[in-house]
Amino acid sequence: MRELIVLFQKEWRENTRNYKFLWVPLVFIFFGLSEPLTSYYLPQILDAVGNMPEGSVFPMPDFTPAQVIMATMGQYQFIGMLVLVLAFMGTISRERKNGTGTLIYVRPISYINYFLSKWKVVGLIALVSVWLGLLTSWYYTGLLFGKIEAVDFLAFAGTYSVWILFVVTIVLAMSAWLPTGGAAGVSLLLVLLVQIADSLLGAYWTISPWKLSIYATEWLTGSPDSGDFWWSMVITIVAIIALMMFGVWMSKRNASKTKV
Amino acid sequence: MEELQGVPWGIITPIFIIQFILLVVALIDLAKIHQTNGPKWVWVLVIIFISIFGPITYFIAGRKQA
Repeated sequence: MRELIVLFQKEWRENTRNYKFLWVPLVFIFFGLSEPLTSYYLPQILDAVGNMPEGSVFPMPDFTPAQVIMATMGQYQFIGMLVLVLAFMGTISRERKNGTGTLIYVRPISYINYFLSKWKVVGLIALVSVWLGLLTSWYYTGLLFGKIEAVDFLAFAGTYSVWILFVVTIVLAMSAWLPTGGAAGVSLLLVLLVQIADSLLGAYWTISPWKLSIYATEWLTGSPDSGDFWWSMVITIVAIIALMMFGVWMSKRNASKTKV
Repeated sequence: MEELQGVPWGIITPIFIIQFILLVVALIDLAKIHQTNGPKWVWVLVIIFISIFGPITYFIAGRKQA
């Protein structure tokens, strides 16, 4: 337990010193802000920069509050995931490369604590960022478009949090397995490309971790099919645990690759 | 300039505040850091002129973490 606390503190300090505790939340808040605003001011923005011919009428879709929150999440699903992967791709692999690993691995540490300390800090940063961003978006949507019930919003954000933890675990496990560049590549492949594939071919199956974000948005307009939803939830949590075990095993196996 | 008065500054200002914080923190860090990937003056330009993605790119790719 003491070991876990010490490693956690090391991780915490590192992430405050490289400002990740500051800029990752700010980026998510930024998109949480800008998405409702641009949707709301779209007619004016088009008017100002669109170069529309005189007298042309462009019928604007009326956004519902739920659609605006979904649009924010759409931004997170691409730019947000990119930021999470790129920010944390080197969490374990960089320590092997720059020698920090040597200082840690010569001690008799348990690799479970080593991986868990990183997972906790990175997961905390990611969840705090996403929640702050979504709350901002919720507030602005309420201001500009209309109310979304707190219960619906919490169900949405809660479901989405599980997906965020899944992504974070992928990034850390890959970082334990591969060098930094490879970790980023495989994580992006798993997070972004599989997401696209799942939305293109996904009609054939209803249960997968990549469907969680869609099920999350369904809480805003009604409720997702409970069987599919809970099974996806269970599968995702099992996948998170499996990825964590993989990450622990890989950080142990790769410990000898650290540069002295 | 009457268009400017119609802008609801109260709800737009937070965007500029966030951009400003990111820019300032990135510049402070750049001034303090020992070495960056690539020349420092390029990063100054990137941080200042590419509104939000400039500081983000610097935090991701610019800092040499030795």
